[in-house]
Amino acid sequence: MIATTTSPDKPKAHSLIGSNYGAPWLHQRRSEAAETFNIIGLPPVTHEDWRLTNTAQIAKINFNAPGDGTALNSEQLGGLCLKKLGAQQMVFVNGTFSSELSSQGGAVEVLTLRQAMEKHSDRVERFLGREMPAQANGFSAMNLAGFEDGAFIYLPPDRGEMGMVHLLWITTGHNQPVVVHPRNLFIIGSNNHITIVQSYASFSSQPTLCNAALEMVVGKGAKVELIKLQRESDAAFHIANEAIHVHEHAAVQSLVVNTGGQIVRNNMTVHLAEPFAQATLNGLTLASGNQHIDNHTMLDHARENCPSHELYKNLLGGHASAVFRGKILVRPDAQKTDSKQTSKTILLSDDAVMNSQPQLEIYADDVKCTHGSTTGPLDDEQLFYLRSRGVAAADAGALLTYAFARDVLLRIWHTGIREYLEQFVAAELHRLHLDQAKS
Amino acid sequence: MALVEINNLQAAVGGKQILKGIDLTINPGEVHAIMGPNGSGKSTLSSVLAGRETYTVTGGSVMFDGKDLLELSPEERACEGLFMAFQYPVEIPGVTTSYFLKAAVNAIRKHHGEPELDAMDFLKMVKEKMALLEMDKSFLNRSVNEGFSGGEKKRNEIFQMAVLNPKFAILDETDSGLDIDALKIVANGVNALRGPKRAILVVTHYQRLLDYIVPDFVHVLCDGKIVKSGDKHLALELEKRGYAWLENAGAAA
Repeated sequence: MIATTTSPDKPKAHSLIGSNYGAPWLHQRRSEAAETFNIIGLPPVTHEDWRLTNTAQIAKINFNAPGDGTALNSEQLGGLCLKKLGAQQMVFVNGTFSSELSSQGGAVEVLTLRQAMEKHSDRVERFLGREMPAQANGFSAMNLAGFEDGAFIYLPPDRGEMGMVHLLWITTGHNQPVVVHPRNLFIIGSNNHITIVQSYASFSSQPTLCNAALEMVVGKGAKVELIKLQRESDAAFHIANEAIHVHEHAAVQSLVVNTGGQIVRNNMTVHLAEPFAQATLNGLTLASGNQHIDNHTMLDHARENCPSHELYKNLLGGHASAVFRGKILVRPDAQKTDSKQTSKTILLSDDAVMNSQPQLEIYADDVKCTHGSTTGPLDDEQLFYLRSRGVAAADAGALLTYAFARDVLLRIWHTGIREYLEQFVAAELHRLHLDQAKS
Repeated sequence: MALVEINNLQAAVGGKQILKGIDLTINPGEVHAIMGPNGSGKSTLSSVLAGRETYTVTGGSVMFDGKDLLELSPEERACEGLFMAFQYPVEIPGVTTSYFLKAAVNAIRKHHGEPELDAMDFLKMVKEKMALLEMDKSFLNRSVNEGFSGGEKKRNEIFQMAVLNPKFAILDETDSGLDIDALKIVANGVNALRGPKRAILVVTHYQRLLDYIVPDFVHVLCDGKIVKSGDKHLALELEKRGYAWLENAGAAA
C-alpha cells in the first residue's frame, strides 16, 4: 500500500485514493495528491528535514486498511473519555466515525468531514488542502489522497465562548499492520474562544501508522487553544502535518504531549498572516525504551507586531531519542516581531539522545528573536539540596522531573484539561521512572 | 555523650587534600564557631558533614548521636537530625517552598515511623515559624529560592531549620552577602532555635555574625587543621590581629 521511496515510477498508487463523497472536485484533488505522492514519495533520510527521522522503517511495512471498525462501548473508553470535562466529544475508531460514542448537537457544530461535504461543501472545497497541501511532504500527499474521514468545525463569527471539543482517534488491536489517515479541518470565525483537544490512542501490538493532517483558520480576534495528546502504543508510528493560519489580533496556543509511539513526527506550521496575530507553541515529550519523537515547528511571521513563543520540553530515558527543530521565518514586512524559542531536555539515562536546533531566517530589521536550548541530566545541586532535607534520592528525582514537566502544563488555558493532563503526566512519569529503575 | 565526635577527619576534593586531621567534640546545647581564612577548609568541613559526594574522606571518623555519620547518605543524615544551611542555596523553579518542605517534613516523619502531615496541619505548623523569621506567607507559594534576594535565601535556610527541628545544625557562612538588617533577622531566628538538646556549628569568615550569635566555643581552622580553640574572646582577638597571627603560629609549631 505504501510505495517505496526508491521507485517513483512504480504503477500509480490508485489504491491511495479515497472516496470522493460525490464531489468531483474532491476526486480531482485526491488524484493530484496521489500524483504528487508518486513523484515525491516518502521523505528519504537524505532530505534535510528528515535527516534525523528515518522513515524507511515505515516504508518497508505493508500497512492495510483497518477492518470494519471493532465496536467499542463507552466503558472501554475509560480514561480516554473527556465528557466529564464538559467536552463535546467525537470518537473515530479505526478511522471510522462512531456516532454511538460521540456527542454531536452541542454549542459547537462539530461534523465529520463526510457530513461537512454535504452541509458545508463550499467551505470544504475552499479550505481543504490549502494550509496543508500535498506538496508539503509524501505523508501529507498520502493523507490528502487517501484520508477516510475526520472532524470538521465551522464556527460562525462572534459566537463567543464555545467550551471544549474533544476528538478521540482510537486504533484497536489488529493481527496485521494497519494505517489510518485522519484529516481535520477547523474554520474558526472572528472573536470566538474555543479549546480543541485531539487524543490519539492505539491498542495494537502490531505496527500501526497514524498519518494525520490538520488545517485550521483562526479568524480576527479569535482565541484558540489546541491540545494534542499522542498516547499510542509502543508499536505505533505517528506522523502529523498540522498548519494554522492566524488572522489579525487572533491568538493560538498549541500544546503537543507525546508519550507513545516508536517513531513520531509532528510538523506544526503557523502562519502569522496579519498584524498582531500571536502564537504560542508548547511541547512535552516523555520517552523511554527505543522511542524516537521528533517535533518540527515552523513559525512564519508575515506581518508586523506579531509575538510568538515556543517552549518544548523533553524527558528522555532508556535509549530514547528526540528531535526539536524550530524554524522561524521573519519576512520583510514583519517589523516588531517578538519571538522567543526555548528547548529544554532532561536526560534520565546515559543512552538517551537529544537533537535540538533553531533555524532563523530574518528579513526584517526591527525584530527581537531569542532562542535557547539546554540538554542535560537532572541538576546535581538541586538533587543534593532535596536530599539534604531528608528526601530520598529517587523521590528527589521524581519531584524534579514532575516540576520540569508541570512547567509546561501550567501554561494551559483550560483548567479542566490542565488538571487532567497533570494527572496523566504524573502517571506517565511514574512509569518512566520505574522503567529507568529496572534498567 | 557527645552529639558530634569528629576524630582526625581527613578529606580531599579533586585529588587535593584539604582537611588534614580535624578533631572536634560538640555536645548538645553548645554553639561552636569555626573561623578561618579562605582555603582553610571551612566549606570542605561543612560539605563532608552534609555528605556531598564530590568530597572524599581519606581518614578519620565522625560519630553523630552514636552513629557513624560517614556511612549515611545525605537524606539519612537529615532524617537522623542533621541540617545544613547552605552558603549558596540553589533555586528550584517549578517546585514551591511549601511542596518541597512538606516533602522533607514527611520524609523525616516517615523515617521515624510518625504519620505524615496533611496540607492543613503542615500549614498550621509552619505559620509560627514564618512569623519567627518575619516571612510573608506568600513566599510559601513561590518556587524554592527563585528570584530571592541573598537575604531572603538565607532567611529561607533558617526557616527550614526551624521547621525541620534538627539536633545538629551547620550554618555554612550564613552571613555572607547579608546586610546588617538581614543579618539581625537571621541571627534572631538562629538564637530562637538554641536549646539544651540542639547543637549548632557556625562556619564563618567574619567575626561580625558572632556578635549576634554568641558562640560557646571558637575554633580557628588553618590549612585543614584546627590550630587554636577558645571562647568568644578568641573571635575578637582574631578580629584585631587577623588570621596571619595564627597562620604564622601554626607554621612555627
